[in-house]
Order: sequence, then structure tokens, then C-alpha cells
Amino acid sequence: MSSAAVILATLVIPLAAGAASFAARNRRTMEAANLSGFAALLVCAVLLARQVLRAGSVSMWNGFLAADALSALVVLLTAFVALACSVYAVGYFREDEENRVFEADVLGAGTISSLRKYYSLTPLYVFAMLLVALANNLGVMWVAIEGTTLASVFLISFYGRATSIEAAWKYAMIGGVGLSMALFGTILTYYSAHRVLETETLAGLNWSVLVTNAAQFDQTAMKLAFILILLGYGTKAGIAPMHTWKPDAYSEAPVPVAAMLAAAVLNCALYGLIRFYVLTTKCLGPQFPSQLLIIFGLLSVGLAVPFVLVQRSFKRILAYSSIDHGGIMILGLGFGGAFGALGMMLHLTFHSFTKPLLFFCAGNVEQHLKSDLFRRAKGIIHSMPVSGPIFLMSTLAITGTPPFSMFQSEFTIFRAGFENGHWFPATLLIVFLVAIFIGFLVHVAKLVLGADPGLPRVDTSPWKKYSLIGLACVILVLGFWLPGPLFQLIRGAALVARGQ
Amino acid sequence: MITLMAAFVLVLQIAMVGQRWLVTNIRVFAAQSFLLAGIANTIAYFNHAPHLYIAAFLTFTLKAVILPVVLERLVRRIDIGQEIAPLVNVPLSLLISGGLTTVGYVVAASFHRPEEATSAANVSVTNLGHNTLAVAVSLFLIGFYMMITRRKAIMQVLALLSLENGLFLAAISLTYGMPLIVELGIFFDLLVAVMVLGILVYRIQETFDSMDVSKLSRLRG
Repeated sequence: MSSAAVILATLVIPLAAGAASFAARNRRTMEAANLSGFAALLVCAVLLARQVLRAGSVSMWNGFLAADALSALVVLLTAFVALACSVYAVGYFREDEENRVFEADVLGAGTISSLRKYYSLTPLYVFAMLLVALANNLGVMWVAIEGTTLASVFLISFYGRATSIEAAWKYAMIGGVGLSMALFGTILTYYSAHRVLETETLAGLNWSVLVTNAAQFDQTAMKLAFILILLGYGTKAGIAPMHTWKPDAYSEAPVPVAAMLAAAVLNCALYGLIRFYVLTTKCLGPQFPSQLLIIFGLLSVGLAVPFVLVQRSFKRILAYSSIDHGGIMILGLGFGGAFGALGMMLHLTFHSFTKPLLFFCAGNVEQHLKSDLFRRAKGIIHSMPVSGPIFLMSTLAITGTPPFSMFQSEFTIFRAGFENGHWFPATLLIVFLVAIFIGFLVHVAKLVLGADPGLPRVDTSPWKKYSLIGLACVILVLGFWLPGPLFQLIRGAALVARGQ
Repeated sequence: MITLMAAFVLVLQIAMVGQRWLVTNIRVFAAQSFLLAGIANTIAYFNHAPHLYIAAFLTFTLKAVILPVVLERLVRRIDIGQEIAPLVNVPLSLLISGGLTTVGYVVAASFHRPEEATSAANVSVTNLGHNTLAVAVSLFLIGFYMMITRRKAIMQVLALLSLENGLFLAAISLTYGMPLIVELGIFFDLLVAVMVLGILVYRIQETFDSMDVSKLSRLRG
């Protein structure tokens, strides 16, 4: 297949899956549309990655859509997370249906229309994420990032509880303000480039055009633009102190939606940030953006510490973990150098594989106990022989314990920090991460281990069970062996992030 | 001409801060958008930027007609108390808006380069005067301020929209607007955003029996 066909297929497949689910009349058709759509999407993403590895970068429609290694990596991870979540979602929503969750909805929306909302909005949401990665034009990228927010608002208010509406409102408003800052940043970038390029065509905002001329941009405007972009896309990524929507959204959204927010949308927001980071480094040198990234990164990791230590809910703790990992990634970018960028990309990849698993485990426990509070959950291993141990394992993986792969990426980031003379932030980062490791592990160990509280043994549904076991295998394998082409792609993405 | 209109836009924004009635507020927003469309038209005419006509037309239909009508219907439908009840009282709010306007001018001043005034590429900023940019930045900041201090959900939506107006003004005064496709995308997003937020406002009203967003405080930690 030609590269244009692959790019188009990548964007069209989720739209088609969404339309099919919207038209479907029963649950089975919707599930099938989503599963087959996302499976096909993953195939396309792999094909795209192969072509990018072979050709360096591909583009179509005069560079309106383009993919380099960074875009291909984000597309691949998005497709993977979407598929994993859609497999899990089948089991999750079937169990919700058995528990008669949908009938308790205040507005009485009914089961099928609730399910239709999920199965048709999710592909739309995935489409927006893919467009973020594939749009070459920074303005179109902004539109797509705003699109991810708009498509997911009703997914967060899915259960229609008072608390979920509250979470959706905060998500929409904080996201809206954040993105308006990002739009301002984009306008300023356009302005600072405008005088160099002297064009008013669409190409004036194409990243591939901007990046070759970035050295001559207006420096004052670019400085302001980067600050606004960092605040704006940082809000979307949930970087402290703009993270306040995150715990609410994660704890109220259905688990597959929250998993996608944490593992895929985070990547897209950081992707937007990286594109502007490259422009800013070319224009102003690495000093200015690095300092900002290190400050915000440390703030995020540091802020997560107390909230993880005293957390009461095992869903909200995942949000703070995600704030922490977002912080680690931008710290990696801020530390700079070959290892900083590589560490960030490795971390982004491993995080996308590990985070959904944690959400799935937490979702299983929550559906079993009908509560997301740690104090209600003890000795889960006795009643949930699959979810319990995997929950513990994925906690070890996400906190960066060897042999799991996140240890390698965190280690690479530390190395970048020390090598580039950021002694103080790197040391502080290690201290924070140790504290988070202790807090997280103590909480989850109490939840999983301990005396048998005598709950009935549940055999989680095959969909839920196998999505868990499958992902756990992926993480175990990644701990010891990173496939060659994937590593090549990650290295390519790191080179893009360094502006080469 | 443009500077004068921009000044009116700013006056309307401050009027919005001082306003106490919800429906009036929506109409002030409509008037502001109407003026903005006028500014876009003027710039399009004098600077031969034809794609700005489309942006001006969209601003007019969407922000000055459709959105205000939709919002007013929403207000009527849920029949909420008409008064706004801001967190900060009106005189203090006006004072703060004045302060934010000053900040806007300071920021805009950093873009002003008299030595480059003759260069052709820089024509937009110098000819339109950095007044317009200052107004744009002030609109953005005051919109931001309104979002923080308004308790009614629908007023927050309105504040977000007026903040967006500031961005539009910044875009047309700095660069004659963004490329057309981007502009269209932004308008599309705006329309969807207002629909989504409208439905959410409606559900907040249904669930909490109030539009006071300070009641949305059950999720903590």
C-alpha cells in the first residue's frame, strides 16, 4: 500500500467504526464494530510505522497530513491503547449491564443508548487523537486536540451521577481555558513565523516548514508563545498546577475511557508540546524552554507525592500517578541531550503499555466491591485470583521497579539529568519517585494481600480476564526484550524531539 | 477606525464585567461579536485579505446571531434566576479589569518595534497599531478573570466565548487571521463546544437544581 493510502486508512477506519456503532441496533454489533475497527487500526499503525522507518517521513496532500517517527510512534501507541481498551470495554460494560448500572441513570437513558454513546464517541475520540499526530499544520493540530476534549466530555459524564457531571464540567472548562491559551500560543507562533515566511497560505503553519526557518523567528513572540503553549497543552496533559481536572475525571469516567485519557491523550498533549519545544529550541536555544520544563516537571512529580501517600481511592491514585509520569516525561525533555529525549520517548512508550493495565485492574476491583475506596478493599487476592496479582505486578511496573521496563526509561532520564549538570532536579526527582513508590506499593499491597475477607470468588468475564493477561504478558516481555523496529522508532522519535 | 472599534469592543467587555443581568450579558456579547466581525471586514477591505471576509461572516453568523440565540433559549428554558451574583462585587471587578487592561498594553508594547515600522512584512502590527493587540490581550485576560469569578455555569461559558473573541482579535490584528482551514476548524470547534457545554449546563441544572458551580465541590483529594 502507498503511504497516502495508509495515512488515510488510519484516519478513516475509526470514523467508520464510530458511524457503524452509531447506526447499530444491538450491543453485539457495536462491540464488533469497535473491536474490528481498532484491530484494523492497529494493523494500519504498524504499516505506517514500517513505512516511516523505511522512508524517514511520509506526507500527503501537499504536506497537510504528514508522519515522521514521532507521529508514527504516537499513532502506534494510540492504536494499541484503543484496541486494549475496546477489548476490556466489552467485558466491563457487560458487567455494568448485569449490575443494572444503566437503569439507575437519573435521566433514564436506557442501556442501549448508553452503550451507543460509548461505542460511537470512543472511535471519534480516537480519530481526534490520530489527527493530532498526523496533522502537519499546527492550527489543525490545535483543532484536533480541542476535538479530543469535546468528544470525551460526554464519556466522562457517562454514568450521569451528580459527581460525574461535576467532573465533566471541570474537565470541559479547565480544558477549554487551557486550550484557549494554547491557541493564543499558536497564533503567536504564526505571527513570529509570518514575518519570515511572508506567506498567508496554509503552509505558514506547517510544522515541517516552520522547523526549517525557526532560527529567524521573532524571539519575543516565540518566548511568549512557548509559555502559553506549555500552560495550554500542559493543562491537557495534566501537568501541575493545571492538573486539577484529572483526579475527578479519572475517578468518574468509565474505566476504558479513563485508561485512554491516561495512556493516549497524555501522549497527544505531550506530542503538541514537543512540536513547539523543537521550534522554541531552534529559535531561542535550549536554555529557556528547558528551564520551564524542569520547573513544571518537578512541580508535577512533587505534587503527586503527598496525594499518593494519603490517597483514599484506588482510582484517584492512578490520576496522581499519571500526573507524576507526565512530569517525569517533560523532565526528560527538559534535561535535554540525547539521553533526555530518548528517556522521554521510552517512558512515553512504556507508560502507554503499563497504565491501561492498572486501570483495568482497578476497574475490576471496583466493579467487584462497588466502591473505589482503599479501606473497603482488603485481601482481594482471595476473591480475585487474576486481577489481584496483576494489580500488584502492574503497580511494581508503573513505579519503575526492575525488571520492568519503566525502570530503564527512568534510569535513562536520571542519567540525562546528571550528565547535563542538572544535579539538583535529578536528585530531587529520585527522592520524589522513591516516596511515590513506597506510598503506591503500600496502598496496593494492603489492597491485594492480607486475610481473606470472605467475599465470593469472582471469575471475571473472559474479555476482562484475557485483556488483563494479554497486557501483563506484553509488559513482562518488554521488561526483557524491546523489539528492534520499535526501538528504532523510539530512537527516531527522540531525534525528532531534539530537532534533528 | 479599527482602533475605535477595538476600543468599543473593550468597553463592551468591561460592561460585561459590570453587568448584573444574564440576558443583557448575552446581548452585550452579541454586540461585541458584531463589532469584531466589523473589524475583520475592515481589515479585509483595507489590506486585501479576502479570506478574512469569510472569517468575518462566520463570526457574525455564529457568534453574533446563532450562539446568543441558543444561549438565550437555554436561559429561558431552564428559567434560572436572572441575576448573576458574582463572587467579587462590581466596583472591585471593574477596577481589576482596568488593571488587566494595563497589563494588556504592557504585553502589547513588547511587540512594538518602531525601527521596523517601514518593513513591509511588519505592516500588520504597525498599521493596525498595537492598540488592537493590547485590546485583544485585555479581552483575553478579562475573560479569564470573569471565568474565575462567575458562579453561574452559563456565565462561565460566556466568559470562555469572550476570551475566544480576544483570541480572534489577536489573530486578525497580528497576522490578518489564521489560514482559512484553521479558522474554519476553530469555528467548528467553538460551535460544538457551545453545544456540549449547553447540554452540560442543562444537566447541571437538572441534577443540582441550580447553576451555581460552587456547588460542584464533592470531588476532593
